[in-house]
Amino acid sequence: MLYYPEVMIEPVNYICERIEALNPIHSKKLRKSMEFFDDKYNELAGAFFEKYIQLLHAENKTLDYAIDCYLKMIADVNAETLEFLRTGKYSSSTFDEVNARVYASPETMAYYMHGLILSQFLWKHHYQVFDYFINTLPQYINTTKSYLEVGVGHGLYLSKSLEILDDEASFTVVDISETSITLAKHFTNNSRIAFNLRDIFDFDNEEKFDFITLGEVLEHVEDPLKLLSKLNSLLSENGTLFFTTPTNAPAIDHIYLFNNVEEIRKIVRQAGFQIIGERAFLSEEVSPEKAEKYKIAVLYAAFIKKADV
Amino acid sequence: MDRPEILKKVNDVFIDVMDDDNIILNYVTTANDVDEWDSLNHIQLVVAIEKLFKIRFTSKEIQSWDNVGAMVDSIISKLN
Ligand SMILES: C[S@@+](CC[C@H](N)C(=O)[O-])C[C@H]1O[C@@H](n2cnc3c(N)ncnc32)[C@H](O)[C@@H]1O
Repeated sequence: MLYYPEVMIEPVNYICERIEALNPIHSKKLRKSMEFFDDKYNELAGAFFEKYIQLLHAENKTLDYAIDCYLKMIADVNAETLEFLRTGKYSSSTFDEVNARVYASPETMAYYMHGLILSQFLWKHHYQVFDYFINTLPQYINTTKSYLEVGVGHGLYLSKSLEILDDEASFTVVDISETSITLAKHFTNNSRIAFNLRDIFDFDNEEKFDFITLGEVLEHVEDPLKLLSKLNSLLSENGTLFFTTPTNAPAIDHIYLFNNVEEIRKIVRQAGFQIIGERAFLSEEVSPEKAEKYKIAVLYAAFIKKADV
Repeated sequence: MDRPEILKKVNDVFIDVMDDDNIILNYVTTANDVDEWDSLNHIQLVVAIEKLFKIRFTSKEIQSWDNVGAMVDSIISKLN
């Protein structure tokens, strides 16, 4: 089957065709995403794949490796979704469990992070959140002298922040997984960044940060309120925190279940923040009624700052 | 329950999950024949069928289905 080849750039076309052959049922989701993507997507995705394929080649890997990683991640997500729909719960409930199962397992972490970075350009809602971030971040160029990213994963957001923010700004990263740190280091390839292999709860810094990014980490901790409070203490007085987190999104390393967006907003307020801007994107092309009935994931993203007292 | 009866019930589940009254399944129907049969709907079908027949599939069984007939046979094997 042909995927709108006239609007699709080559690596994406190749990926879609390969997935169509290897996992035809899943490729239907990709086809829907592709209908949404526009010229701006092609530009961003083109630049991304150029860089990413170079990184793969430097490690003696090919795009086929990344596609296999992506499909392994999809198999995990499917198995977790099945369990979630049967039980109403995420399969893991403690940090120690997911640390052993995922973050501390180089093999699992490698396919997971390569899978996740591809999903940024294959899933409409992942792309929409990324697009929201890079469109809004320029507003913070003048006020950001120090940038912290927590749970950097593959490093895609970090690489864009480096491009967008001031050349004089400092960059700090905290991630608990060695695999993520190594991948983000390779992907960004920039000596300005200070990488910390650490649990965010064990991280402290004398100076406060003007901008903090926390992409898809809140659902990975036992107590998300404690994490937001911790980040509040690391943020400068007029600083901004950008975070994303999904509702109803079973995955091998998700612990904390947000049932709806309002539950997320509630802990934002409890942690002493106010919302400056927010978006919520459905992860599948379904009606709101069906989304509710079948607990379809919504990816929530917000720019927040310390609440006025 | 015999094969045709189960097929009929499975057909009703498809109609409900995919919200499409026009779906008519037979034993050789595959995901290629039904537009809405994507990976998300597939999982929801599994869960809905499990609930209806009060059975539980293994992930191996779920992966082995290449058409509706295989699905129906899986159900029969659980009911007996
Ligand atoms: C799902 S990935 C998110 C990657 C990327 N930020 C994104 O939005 O796509 C979660 C990352 O958070 C890291 N992580 C999870 N718990 C953490 C913790 N307590 N402290 C630091 N990093 C953590 C994991 O190692 C992983 O790299």
